[in-house]
Amino acid sequence: MTNRTRTLQVDYLTRVEGETSLTLRLEGDKATDVRLSIFEPPRFFEALLRGRSYLEAPDITSRICGICPAAYLMSACLAVEDALGVQVDGPLRVLRRILYCGEWIESHALHVFLLHAPDFLGYPDALSMAKRHGEWVQRGLRIKKAGNTLMSILGGRSIHPINVRVGGFYRAPSRAELEAHLPELRWGRAATAEALEWMAGFPFPAFERAYEFVSLRHPSEYPLLGGRIVSSEGLDIPVHGWDAHFEETQVPYSNALHARRVGRGAYLCGPLARFNLNFDRLAPEVQEAARRAGLSVPCRNPFRALLVRLVEVLHAFTEAIQLIERYEEPAAPYVDTPARAGMGSGATEAPRGLLYHRYTLDPDGAIREARIVPPTSQNQLSIEDDLRTLAPELASRSHAEATRLAEQAIRNHDPCISCATHFLTLKVERA
Amino acid sequence: MSGRTRVIGLGQAAAGDDQVGLAVIEHLRERGAPDGVELLTAAEPSALLPLLETPAPVVLVDAVLAAPPGEVLVLEPEELEQRGLSTMSTHGLGVAQAVALARVLSPAAVSPSIRIIGVSISPPGRFQQGLSPDVAAAVPRAAEHILRTLTHWSQEPRHA
Repeated sequence: MTNRTRTLQVDYLTRVEGETSLTLRLEGDKATDVRLSIFEPPRFFEALLRGRSYLEAPDITSRICGICPAAYLMSACLAVEDALGVQVDGPLRVLRRILYCGEWIESHALHVFLLHAPDFLGYPDALSMAKRHGEWVQRGLRIKKAGNTLMSILGGRSIHPINVRVGGFYRAPSRAELEAHLPELRWGRAATAEALEWMAGFPFPAFERAYEFVSLRHPSEYPLLGGRIVSSEGLDIPVHGWDAHFEETQVPYSNALHARRVGRGAYLCGPLARFNLNFDRLAPEVQEAARRAGLSVPCRNPFRALLVRLVEVLHAFTEAIQLIERYEEPAAPYVDTPARAGMGSGATEAPRGLLYHRYTLDPDGAIREARIVPPTSQNQLSIEDDLRTLAPELASRSHAEATRLAEQAIRNHDPCISCATHFLTLKVERA
Repeated sequence: MSGRTRVIGLGQAAAGDDQVGLAVIEHLRERGAPDGVELLTAAEPSALLPLLETPAPVVLVDAVLAAPPGEVLVLEPEELEQRGLSTMSTHGLGVAQAVALARVLSPAAVSPSIRIIGVSISPPGRFQQGLSPDVAAAVPRAAEHILRTLTHWSQEPRHA
């Protein structure tokens, strides 16, 4: 091994959502500099929300992402409802869970089949993969579409749903509307189980890291909506405790903030964290399918997140089917949410991980302050640490091979760059 | 020919000039689409794949990163990559790739005639709620190009 210095530079990272670049400097087999620079322009959503009505928070924030709008809708609703002292339960909460299942299905399927699988099969993109594995790409797209259809039934349309409001929905779907989609959901469940079996045979690099995993935990459900925030290092706090236990800092090279556990450092949220912290909450048949795919808890290999995503798709199909089979139409599509002053927090599990919102409302319901912490900025430090740990492996490969592995390692976490872009007002301190 | 000609706008609302494809569809909707034309939108290219499965012609309208902003470009899908133009997809799959993927996956079902109407935009550098003036001015011109393309197609015997 020579001690020469080389730099892996990827100006535009492909097959991730949004615009980002990677600079990785290797000296011998050590990484001396790792920078995931998110240069997607900041979008100032938090500033945009100031002065707007609390009823607008879900609709405005859902525009942050075309892939996971339901996550933004749900975190915003929970946070605003917390500020108002309102609880949404019963069939309305069931509908929210079904909507969220649709989002997990479509987002994970897009990532697994079109963006990430080509890495494992040695193809540069989905197009090259489709020439040899067209049937799987077709199935992946149909699985994704089954999720989108679920979102359309609940949300009015599949991208940027318009039927969700603080307190519930503008219109609740009929039992018949949901039941009509059951055959496709059952097909999706079977097709996902087969895909999991197929992908379990992919070559996964032997690589593990001692992450601190962070996710929501609910008394009885695999986490989607609310619960407590827990970690593999023993953290167990209510959602509004986020601000006391986590902090965000700005770095000069990126438009995304870096989040840390106060006093500890990097942590990981997303599918691996949910799986490891909530395996016992997966449907029994899904646990069994995960075991058959060679997964066990704790899984610390980020490359295997590909399989964990499929496990979550399988769970989402299973849960959506069960919820629809038991669905009883609500008496009213939403509960009343009169304005009042307050501060509220809400967290849900976006496909990529914990999504935290906090709002402060004036007495007339105008938003005085908004805070949105997306999963990608929480995972950014861990992604950089993955690359640092991979350095010896990267150093032993050709430039092209090393670049490819580094990109694959980033895609393990399905970062959504457009969600993560943030901008802070620069504080000038005078002596 | 069976099925209605599809005009599909791509873009994300609330993403500045990226939404120009949606604005062109809205413009066509307001002035009334010609008979036999279906106006559709898609927020990301994988949602485009099923929409390309039609025996009728398809026109895609999207933002294209190119200078100066506000130019209307009429392109074949292959030209996007050949000419080094990039459509503004933030979802890992570009428009040219989506068309190519659809052709690999279901060659018999994909429309035989796909044309792209691109509106050039500058790389976004800051938050912007609507369209910038140059790009907004291109919306009616892009709509004209589409209507002309549709007329041209309707006069070609193979699409009659």
